[in-house]
Formats: sequence, C-alpha cells, structure tokens
Amino acid sequence: MNMTTRMALVCTTALLGGAAAAETMTIGITQNNVGVDSYQTTYEKAFIAAAEANPDVEAVVLDAGGDVARQIAQMEDLIQRDVDAIIIWPTNGEAVIPAVRKAHQANIPVVVTNSNIAEQGFDFVASFSGPDNITQGSRAAEIMCDRFTDMGVEGEARVVQISGQPGYTTAIERAKGFEDRLPEVCPDVTLVETQPGDWSREKSQQVMEAFLVKYDDIDGVYAGDDNMGVGALNAAKDADRDGIVFVGATNFAVGYEAMADGDYWGSIYQSPVDDAEAALQTAIDILNGEDLPFLNYFDTPKITQENMDEFEKPVF
Amino acid sequence: MAQFNKSDIGALLAKQGILIAFAVFMIGFTLANPRFIELDNVSGVIRSSAILGVMALGVTFVVIGGNLDLSVGSMMSFSTIVVLDLHDKLGPGLAIVAMFALTLALGAFIGFLVGYLKLNSLIVTLGMLSAIHGLTLTWSGGKNMDIADKSGTWFAFFGQARVMGVPVPILIFALLAVLLSLLLAKTPFGRKVYAVGGNGQAATFSGIPRARVVFMTYLLSAFCVATAGLLQASRSMGSQNTVGQGMELEVLAAVILGGASLLGGSGTVVKTVIGVLILGFIQSGLLLVGLDFYVQYIVTWIIIILAVWLDVAAKRGRLWSPIA
Repeated sequence: MNMTTRMALVCTTALLGGAAAAETMTIGITQNNVGVDSYQTTYEKAFIAAAEANPDVEAVVLDAGGDVARQIAQMEDLIQRDVDAIIIWPTNGEAVIPAVRKAHQANIPVVVTNSNIAEQGFDFVASFSGPDNITQGSRAAEIMCDRFTDMGVEGEARVVQISGQPGYTTAIERAKGFEDRLPEVCPDVTLVETQPGDWSREKSQQVMEAFLVKYDDIDGVYAGDDNMGVGALNAAKDADRDGIVFVGATNFAVGYEAMADGDYWGSIYQSPVDDAEAALQTAIDILNGEDLPFLNYFDTPKITQENMDEFEKPVF
Repeated sequence: MAQFNKSDIGALLAKQGILIAFAVFMIGFTLANPRFIELDNVSGVIRSSAILGVMALGVTFVVIGGNLDLSVGSMMSFSTIVVLDLHDKLGPGLAIVAMFALTLALGAFIGFLVGYLKLNSLIVTLGMLSAIHGLTLTWSGGKNMDIADKSGTWFAFFGQARVMGVPVPILIFALLAVLLSLLLAKTPFGRKVYAVGGNGQAATFSGIPRARVVFMTYLLSAFCVATAGLLQASRSMGSQNTVGQGMELEVLAAVILGGASLLGGSGTVVKTVIGVLILGFIQSGLLLVGLDFYVQYIVTWIIIILAVWLDVAAKRGRLWSPIA
C-alpha cells in the first residue's frame, strides 16, 4: 500500500512539476524508521505534503525501517536513479558514512536530517538540517529565568537539573546550553545539582524524590525532556511540594497536558512538521545554489503556559 | 539471660553476613547525610524499590529452580504498556485482568520451552527479552502510552495511594514477600523447587515432576512481573516502551546479592528482599551524598562487590581465603 501511494506521489508531482516549471528537482529521502513512533510518522506525512505542495519537486520517499543495511541499499538505489539530491535520516551515524560518501562522489548533494552523522563523514555532507540542542538548553534557561523574575525570586532561586542519558550528544548539548545560559540571564540563581534521568520518567521520578529529601528549598527543575520533567513533577506532587517551576525540552503530549493543568511551566517545542519541511527546504536551497550554513538548524521555539494556545498539542 | 560464646556469635555472623553489610551501608550513608535515615526517605526508597522487588521475588524461584530469567525487564514493559492501553479501552478492571492473562501466557510459553522442551533458559529468556520488546513496540506502535483522564480513575490506587499511612506498593511488596516466603519455605512445592535446582536428576529419581516445577516457577515469575507492571503503570499513569529496560540485570543482581546461587538450589525470599533493599538504598544514598554521576556507576559496583565479599567472608569465617 505504501509503495503504491509513493509511486502515485512521484507521478503526480512529476506531472505537476512538468506543467509548472521547465526544471524539476528529484529529491530522494531515506528515513530512519517510520511507524516506530509518532514523531517519525508525522515527519513522513509532512514531508510528502510539502513535496506535493511544491510543483518543482519530485520526491522519492523511502523508509529504511530502522535497518542500516536497507538504508545503505536505498542510498545506492537513489544514486543509481541519479536523483538531484538525497536526504538521509541516519539509522546509524557511523555505518551510513560510506554510502553518503558514494553519493558525494557521484556529485549528488546529501542533506542529513534530524540527527547528524558522525564527524568523520562531515566532508561528504552538503548540510545538516535539524534541531539545535544547545539553543534548546539555553532557551530553557531563559524560560526559567523569566519565570523566576515574574515570581520575584530571581535573586535567590535554587534549581536542580535532571539530564538525559549520560554519553548521549543530545543530553550533553542540552545540559551545556542550560548551564552556560542560566548564569548569564539570572546570575543569582544557583544550579545546585545535576543528576541523570536517562530519558526515563520513572528514573527521573526517583532522582527527584532524592532531591526533595536532600534539599528543603527547590524553586526550579530543568529536565532534558518532558518525559523526565513529568516524572519529576509526579515526585513533587507525591511529596506535596508546591511552587516549583518545571521546564523541559522536546514538548511531549504529557508535558503539554501538564502545562494545560497548570502544573508544568514550559518547554521547547520541536515539531516534526517543521523538521520535515526544513529538510526539504534545505535540499531545495542547495540545488538552487544558495549558500547555507553547514549546520542549518530549524527553529524550536519556547512554549510556556502563557503562549501554549499558539501550538498544537504534540502527537507524541 | 542467654549466654553467648564466641562460636555462637561467629555462627550468627556467618548466617547473616549480608545483613551486616546492609547495616554497614546504612550507617555509612547516614553519617554522610543524616537525612538518609529519615522516615520520608526510607519509605520513598522502599516504595521505589517495590517494583524491582516484586520482580525479584518471582525470579528468586526461577533461580533456586536452577534457571535464569532475563526476560523480566522486557516483560514488565509489556505489562505496563498493555494495561495502560487497555485502561482507556476496557476500563481499569478488565484491563488489569487482560494484562495478567497475557503476561501469564508469556510466562507459560517460556516455562514450556525451558521446562518441557528442556531448552537452555539463558538462550530462551535472552531471546524473549528482545522478542517481547518487539511485541510491546508492535502493540503500541512505538508511542508513549498515557491514561487520558489521570484523575478520574481508581487505577491510581496501586501505585499512589496510602493505606494507614503506608504507600500501597510497599504493602503489596510486603504481602507478596510474606506469601511467597511461606510458599517457598513451608510447602511441598517450595521443597520441590529446591530439589529440582539442587540436583535435578536426584529430584527426578525421587519422583518430582521436574518439568512441571520449572514451568510453575516461570508462571510465578510472570505473575510477579504483571504485578510489577501494574504498580509501574499505576504510579506514573503513563509510560515509555522501554520502562523495564535493563531491569533484568538489576533483578538478578538483587537475587544474587541476597545469596541465591546462580547454580540453583539455594536462596530465600527474605534474603532477596534484603538484596533489593541494598540496591535501592545504595542508589538513594549515592544521590544524597551527591557524587558525580559518572562516578556513581563505579561506586555502585564497588559497594555490591563489598557486600558479596562480606557475605562470603562471614560464611567462611575469615576475610581472606586463597584458592587451593
């Protein structure tokens, strides 16, 4: 079924493209694992919609199903078909490098989307399109600081941080962004301790329980994603500790709901639709010869209880 | 007044080496941060440990019976996801019944493979670890599972309520520990489990239905996993697909720390409970002391080795016993 819709899509976009412009760009994409989570499923739909909406683009949409070998074969297929550009959502940041190099040698520009490949492959990549985790961390620090200022506690507030799984780039970058930015915007706020919550709601709840025993006075919690943030929130509710400002990242549906309930203050909104559209646009811009930064980030805005009406509830 | 001589005390120490280790850590962490021993923290740690603890109770039977169960973490994720998903579709009561039935079916399947087909339990359960993970992902489509109306359901009782001031997970853990301890120590079934794990052939010759006993230990383990999944789901009212990931090793560590032999035939429920508490309190203690978290992994390992060493040393009656 998927295959036929994809073929149909290729045909219609080709027809439309032929009618509207002399030159059609053929852009192939090999995705990581559509269907494994709602983020990736939404991403694919948004990508197809964006390609259909653009008369100059003919899209070849493939999915590796999480399988590195299949992704490499798909890269080779796309090279054989001589597409104009390839977008890849790597199944594995190291293993796909030879395939990326092959495309590069065939003079097909490669855009890496969502998660970057390992650094030794950067020479073969035209551009990376994805979220900027350092900025996400520093924006979370700003959200926290603004809230403390509104509450009038910016001179004395104490914050704990629950970070993602140790060793993960996303975890390290978000923590770094937060830790660097917080003293710049709120120099009198203290970050008293950081412990990892391993991207797990349960682990984060346990960590927060220990924090609550250890510190009588906690004004804010920064969590590396909303799953962990909600875990920490559950711990605080259990212990009847009110008035703590919770700020997360990657706004999940649970985080959005907790914000709607007034329990959770803010997060960073990372939309799979923006992610997909940014990847396609990056590829188009490269084919049009525009000068792009190597790290071409898409915007991940701040979301708080105050502006959450402007955002749709996340699907994941 | 009772008279103790040196050998009595020695015998007592030998029997309770792991308890002594436990006491040493508790005192050490309390000295490092007095809040460690406060009632709130102690009750919080036991409540957090209850989920791991309930799983370890079941695995104790499997290990005493001479087998391993590495599928419990992945199976717990399955139970949690299934009960959360069905909660909104069938209502809490039916969801719990269905989840227990499905989890027990998985346990029965493993029990059949290991007990009746005599397949190696390490291979079977290691394979089931990833197979069940796949099953869970297929069930959920990879999505986080959340109960839509978190405040309007009695489902929260198991994980969040208190009865006479005691958190319900602790009560369930304690109740199961007492029941299973009696089952293991005081019933013919319990004796058969020891016999099968201690010397399988001798057990067969004395007419013990080995396959059925092994099958039952896996069914029991699955029952405990389902209970743990219920506690987990009820506590968070939502979950990731990977909630139990890696817990199989923590469970095994707790069981072995409690003194059960990996070769089967020895171990008790009470000692497993102590093993569970040691792991729980180490985690809490290290957080309260506030060690850098990269170092915590290393220190956790050192403490576990110390505990095992103290236990073994107490049994041997000396700290140092070279091989030969």
